[in-house]
Amino acid sequence: SPLEQFEIRDLLGLTSPMMDFSFINITNFGLYTMITLLVILTMNLMTNNYNKLVGSNWYLSQEMIYDTIMNMVKTQIGGKVWGYYFPLVYTFFITIFTMNLISMIPYSFAMTSHVVFVVSMSMIIWLGTTIIGFYTHGLKFFGLFLPTGTPLILVPLLVSIELLSYFARTISLGLRLSANIMAGHLLIVILGGLLFNLMAMNILTFLLGFLPMIAILGIVCLEFAITIIQAYVWCILMSSYLKDTIYLH
Amino acid sequence: MSTPAPQDPKSKAAAILDSLPGSTALSKTGILATSAAAAIYAISNELYVLNAETILLCTFTGFSFLIAKLVAPAYKEYADKRMQHVSGILNSSRNKHVAAVKERIESVSELKNVTETTKVLFEVSKETLELEAKAFELKQKVDLATEAKAVLDSWVRYEASVRQLQQKQIAESVIGKVQAELANPKFQDKVLQQSVADVEKLFASLK
Repeated sequence: SPLEQFEIRDLLGLTSPMMDFSFINITNFGLYTMITLLVILTMNLMTNNYNKLVGSNWYLSQEMIYDTIMNMVKTQIGGKVWGYYFPLVYTFFITIFTMNLISMIPYSFAMTSHVVFVVSMSMIIWLGTTIIGFYTHGLKFFGLFLPTGTPLILVPLLVSIELLSYFARTISLGLRLSANIMAGHLLIVILGGLLFNLMAMNILTFLLGFLPMIAILGIVCLEFAITIIQAYVWCILMSSYLKDTIYLH
Repeated sequence: MSTPAPQDPKSKAAAILDSLPGSTALSKTGILATSAAAAIYAISNELYVLNAETILLCTFTGFSFLIAKLVAPAYKEYADKRMQHVSGILNSSRNKHVAAVKERIESVSELKNVTETTKVLFEVSKETLELEAKAFELKQKVDLATEAKAVLDSWVRYEASVRQLQQKQIAESVIGKVQAELANPKFQDKVLQQSVADVEKLFASLK
């Protein structure tokens, strides 16, 4: 089944007749989380050109990512406080970006396609921004749900709509990412499966199969673009939510 | 659009052979044969299972190849340019710093005999002060002498005027006495007689 690729499997675990140790099992999800951490650390620590003043060519890529996210956060949040939230946004970006790229390698595992994981992250962000809002503005934070200049008669309607859209952010932020990644991976695997069946039929179909393979290659390129764009979109929305709570309207 | 120049098949084949690891034709053939045998062995013994992921492996390999052929050179060019730019800025600032330090050293080295100059200047200023003191002393002396001369001159003038006055008084008294004497008849007679006697004597001498 194309959905097999998303299964979480135990790779290493402890069994005991006394107690259930399954909560410390190392799963493929745990393994890929560690791989992600390793890749991020490697990209940041091993590319500094032996601590020389000018980094290596790999280091430049990290610098470019840093610069892009910094400019985005500066534009989105602005003001004087954008710098407080930049490390958080950058950490989210580099984590999701690396996870997405790792998931594109064949035989690997797509962590960001797991709704429970990604929506948990988006919920944490939503909760954090709400706490920041109440901490900064107190009860005036509720002003976020009422656009200025609203006629009195429309106030209940608009407040309920705004409240709904505010709560919907919890799900929408995470769902957008995981749905995109899941859809992309499913599409590639389904197309791959179809092509494999076609090519396995006989020598003629095997040779003909190379044509649609080029189309799949195009879709893979597109998927790579989506993985990068989704990580960026996550950070843009996160910054926008932060801006909303910091400055209200 | 211009059509690309046709490539020599021999050189193309040679390029593919060159890209294989190993230095001799034998080792290249060995590597090819070994990898083909290993692939066949792995597939036949189900060490490697051909399935849908194999297609994805092929597409991923193709994607990696595209990246390596198209994106990587462009990125390398950009990165080299960027590194050169950064290195250029660092080197130029280092050179500027070296130049500034050199300039500072030169400007300081110009002041290396400042102690001697200061000593000489101090000596000169001391001498100037001494000369000024001496000049002041001399000026005081001159002033004193001028004042003394003025006093003495006034004394001289006073004495001269006093003397002149006294002489005038003496002359006046003498003239007054003489006139009083002349007014005396006895004296007039005596002078007359004397004069007559002198005239007679003169006449007598003439005879």
